Amino acid sequence: MKGKGCHPMEKTGLSRRRFLGLALAGGAAASVGAGFLERIGEPGTEEVRYSPYALVIDTTKCTGCRACIEACNLRNSLAEGQSYTDVLDRGDEHAPWFLPVQCQHCADPPCAAVCPTGATYKHESGVVLINEKLCVGCKYCMVACPYQARIFDEKRGVADKCWLCLEWVLKGDLPACVEACIPGARIFGRADDPDSEVGKLIASGRAKPLHPEFNTHPAVLSYIITEG
Amino acid sequence: MQTIWGWLPAIYLFLGGLGAGAFLAAATLEFTRKRYEIDICPITLVGAILPGPLVALGTVLLIFDLGAGLREPWRIFYMFTHFSSVMTWGIWILSVFIPLSLVYGFLEVMDSYPMVWERMGKRLTLLQRIPVRRIKRIVAAVGSVFAVGTALYTGILLSAVGPAIPFWSTSVLPFLPIPMMPLLFLVSAISTGIGLTVDLSGTLALPDMQERFRRLPLIHLALIGIEAVLLGLLLLTAFVEGGAAARAAQDIAMGPRSLVFWILIVLPGFAFPLAVHACALGLGRHPRLVHLGAGMGIVVAGLILRYVVLVSGIPVTL
Repeated sequence: MKGKGCHPMEKTGLSRRRFLGLALAGGAAASVGAGFLERIGEPGTEEVRYSPYALVIDTTKCTGCRACIEACNLRNSLAEGQSYTDVLDRGDEHAPWFLPVQCQHCADPPCAAVCPTGATYKHESGVVLINEKLCVGCKYCMVACPYQARIFDEKRGVADKCWLCLEWVLKGDLPACVEACIPGARIFGRADDPDSEVGKLIASGRAKPLHPEFNTHPAVLSYIITEG
Repeated sequence: MQTIWGWLPAIYLFLGGLGAGAFLAAATLEFTRKRYEIDICPITLVGAILPGPLVALGTVLLIFDLGAGLREPWRIFYMFTHFSSVMTWGIWILSVFIPLSLVYGFLEVMDSYPMVWERMGKRLTLLQRIPVRRIKRIVAAVGSVFAVGTALYTGILLSAVGPAIPFWSTSVLPFLPIPMMPLLFLVSAISTGIGLTVDLSGTLALPDMQERFRRLPLIHLALIGIEAVLLGLLLLTAFVEGGAAARAAQDIAMGPRSLVFWILIVLPGFAFPLAVHACALGLGRHPRLVHLGAGMGIVVAGLILRYVVLVSGIPVTL
């Protein structure tokens, strides 16, 4: 067995210097290539699709009561303490304010891009949904969502998030969080209707996407953050 | 702190890098013909036999970290389909790398222990016709490409996360849009791979290893130096970037958990091996025990580095 397959090049082989040079060149090429290739998974490189629905969050009206969190938990029968929406404390003790955050239903969702099975997808309604049967529970989507909008359902072993109460919305009802909001900080409607309240807020520029620099093009949610 | 991906993914990233690096170490000895200076080379043996099982073990551990995918394992086949995901690339790369490594291991054993095959009676005639060395070289070459792919993809997995976790997408330099993680993980993979094959296995199995590999201290110093520069740049560039990336870098080097960084990464993975190999350059030799210690340090530091990087992936502030 030894000596078989011997051929003139075998005794000399690759010189160490050449090998090192090839290795370095290969490594450099691979690293630059990696930089370009990784953009495939990065938001902002796919076709952007928008949604007919709009949910405007008026932070000037939010009192931080967290009724939306409770309502979401109830409607979706979530585990105790879990909710698809969250209300973050902002400002300081002199001027506190609240930032309700949930899935923005991005037009270019990074969660959908990183999902290895395609379980997360953009529905025709513009809502980003999760096909529970495809989810393996790898949590890549949870890590990749810049709005930290996803939770993990320990019982089913899958990722989960706001689905805009689509079943209710399609019947003409409201998402649970909107229904529950007492101060009226959540306004829901059709973005394509210029006469609707949301339509006017968005058109006037008062309601804006949250952190547009993430480049995910939040398609459903927009925010009023300052007065006037 | 990043709390979604913890120890299991860290171990997987580490084993992926270690296996890839060990494979590359063995392949290097094969291509430079250094493998054939002795009949049985423990470095190439370990570097050929271990990567397959190591990376496979990492993958199995990862499957245990899945939710629904663990209870309904057929869902794992869906992971091969969504090419926009770096995780899908990874599963394809590993699907080639793991079998190739297992074949490489088998061939290296065949080449090193021909007497084992001579005892296989009837089956031998078929085995004798295989040009072991030629196939080994092809497998080593193709496998090396996938080894680099394995090491790189573990870094790209993190850097592709983008704006959600700024620290993971820190660039090499503030003005250079090349992500640091793939580079750092590749160099770390090579470092830990050499640590396992040369420093640990080589020192244990070859009494004259330091004489045979006279250039080893230099290679080590170069690698450790490069990795130190990359790690330093990662932290510096993250600092400069500000926001969550800067907080992550600060946490690592100066926060309450910074002791882990300095005592379990910098000391065993950089300072100690650097001192050992610098002395070796000057004095010509050092006690085998010290060399073993340096090797172990590099390997352990590689694991802790992966864990620290994961856990320090602070999400962007909303």
